[in-house]
Amino acid sequence: MQETLIQIEPKPPRGDWRDPHVEFRKGSMCYSAAPKNLTYLGLPNPRVWQPTDSDWKLPPDWKKTILAGMKERLDKFRSFRLFMDVCVRCGACADKCHFYLGTADPKNMPVARAELIRSVYRRYFTLSGRIFGSLAGGRELTEDVIKEWYYYFYQCTQCRRCSVFCPYGIDTAEITLLGRELLTLIGCNINWVMEPVANCYRTGNHLGIQPHGFKDSIDFAADEASEITGLKIEMPINRKGAEILFVMPSADYFATPHYYTLLGYMMLFHEIGLDYTVSAYASEGGNFGSFASHELMKRLNAKIYDEAKRLGVKWILGGECGHMWRVLHQYMDTMNGPADFLEVPVSPVTGTVFENARSTRMVHICEFTADLIHHGKLRLDRGRNDHWNVTYHDSCNPARGMGLLEEPRYILNHVARRFHEMPENTIREQTFCCGSGAGLGTDENLEIRLRGGFPRANAVKYVKEKYGVNLLTCICAIDKATLPTLLEYWVPGVEVGGVHELVGNALVMTGEKERTTDLRGEALATESVLASGESEARHA
Amino acid sequence: MSADRAIVERWVERVLQSYPAQTLPFLRGEQDPFRNPVGHTLRESLTILAGELMGKMDRQRIAQALDAIIRMRAVQDFGPSDAVRFVFDLRTAIREWGGAVPDSLESRIDELALLAFDHYMGCREQIFALRINELRLKARYAASEEGETP
Ligand code: SF4
Ligand code: SF4
Repeated sequence: MQETLIQIEPKPPRGDWRDPHVEFRKGSMCYSAAPKNLTYLGLPNPRVWQPTDSDWKLPPDWKKTILAGMKERLDKFRSFRLFMDVCVRCGACADKCHFYLGTADPKNMPVARAELIRSVYRRYFTLSGRIFGSLAGGRELTEDVIKEWYYYFYQCTQCRRCSVFCPYGIDTAEITLLGRELLTLIGCNINWVMEPVANCYRTGNHLGIQPHGFKDSIDFAADEASEITGLKIEMPINRKGAEILFVMPSADYFATPHYYTLLGYMMLFHEIGLDYTVSAYASEGGNFGSFASHELMKRLNAKIYDEAKRLGVKWILGGECGHMWRVLHQYMDTMNGPADFLEVPVSPVTGTVFENARSTRMVHICEFTADLIHHGKLRLDRGRNDHWNVTYHDSCNPARGMGLLEEPRYILNHVARRFHEMPENTIREQTFCCGSGAGLGTDENLEIRLRGGFPRANAVKYVKEKYGVNLLTCICAIDKATLPTLLEYWVPGVEVGGVHELVGNALVMTGEKERTTDLRGEALATESVLASGESEARHA
Repeated sequence: MSADRAIVERWVERVLQSYPAQTLPFLRGEQDPFRNPVGHTLRESLTILAGELMGKMDRQRIAQALDAIIRMRAVQDFGPSDAVRFVFDLRTAIREWGGAVPDSLESRIDELALLAFDHYMGCREQIFALRINELRLKARYAASEEGETP
């Protein structure tokens, strides 16, 4: 007979999926948006509250507001109604979400996530649901449902992995965005989305860095790039009449390891003599608005075109940013375009016309650099990256959101000698999210992030053990901000860097002094490092 | 099926039971290690641990396998006791299979449980340290708002 001191129950199956009760625990939830941020943005119901409170202080007519909001969006977005109607619950998406894989919580299956809202849709917007209620898969809209929405819509990084597998193309990321948008109507937001949105709106970037601070950061980086190369490198700011406006995520100039990528851009632009400028007004590529609502996304995105117009540039070049590209690719043209005051982008160095950017007039830096390399316009010494054994994480938005798969790999293979892919079902369109995107990358939510990032880390661990990989490259500011923590926990010994950081290392610049360190100030590898049993490895 | 194999299978099955019922068919059935990292890690770690406990007791292999499984359970929705309880499930698995747990194995299982708790605490402490580190970075970046550089 076995004695037990503590009675430990196996995890109860979460009974009926229609039961909306969720438990908010510290470490696995995001804090609510501070009232000052909602007030600044003119959003409803600013108040002091936290998800752990039993009373969320919803406005008295919250239910009416949500249902009216749903109706409005069902009429406005055909996709929304379609997504609500056509899911056949085939389950193809079910085991594709990194949050489901990491948490084993059945409500994190994408189909279940969508069902949170679909059940309310059925109850209030379909005839059978109105008559038969729960028999027809409908669910009453209660405060608990609102709490459940908050819990699970802020446990989705809008990464779209699930949509790749859905035979009907249902995009749960869109459903999450609409769910968050509805929550915004009654003031249920998270601070790590609303504070950056308010800051971006006020000063142009998510930390609220003011123009003089922006200039200081850029100048400081330019000095550092000059010191490393022995050349006089500058990055022009707000320069009217430049040919190109360059927009990057703000983390590139205030956070590490992003900062090394900024050095890389500067050196590249200097070497090819690019006629460009950055802007203090459009000093944030990242669009935190896209994590909360279409309206906020539009308001932030508009700054890029406005500034391009004011400065009179011909076209726009964009840096290593994640959601900036999703917004650009999917929404910018119809939302704030057409940008007919700009020209179709042409590389001033190679003459290549970027046909793909014919309508948005904005080119990804990886497209631009890959084109330079393809035309033999850069002198690259791959040996300068010999201390790195590189793999590449397809950041969700550039990969799935805009199909940028080959260019970063093409560049990496030209700037580094050791490059190894992670397993096939974890890269390219099937890439696993970092688990911290769409506003979830905040410290109070660390445990959820570690769970959601486990599938990604698991693949990194594999290439570390198999090939000795020690650098995970990526082209997204959120990745660079959050993957270091993730890897320190799951795969210590693998660092995170940007593609253009490695470009900066390898770039042989005209008149430069001999380099002894990389952009991080770390000593370059000596011959012996590569000789120790490792041959040149390239996996295209 | 060899005796060892049968015991490991039972052990894995018992540990799987600590996850929500709707998720079990997937955790149990999906064999691809990258599609099913949780199920894969459990199976791989428990197989190694059982092999070592009933065999040579290679400390390093034990530490690695234990770390993989504990690291995972330390961030999932388990309290401390639930997170390390799987160690004792080996006993039950052996009994269920119809065997008796030899004294030598009894004490090895106890030792493993203690080790598991150390690893669990290590992971939790690391999580808090990582969180503090992120907070510190945030504060530093916020200072750059005042014009300081990174
Ligand atoms: S794959 Fe598409 S149709 Fe199938 S359950 Fe998922 S969302 Fe529904
Ligand atoms: S969009 Fe990504 S995070 Fe959201 S449900 Fe789909 S796979 Fe999961």
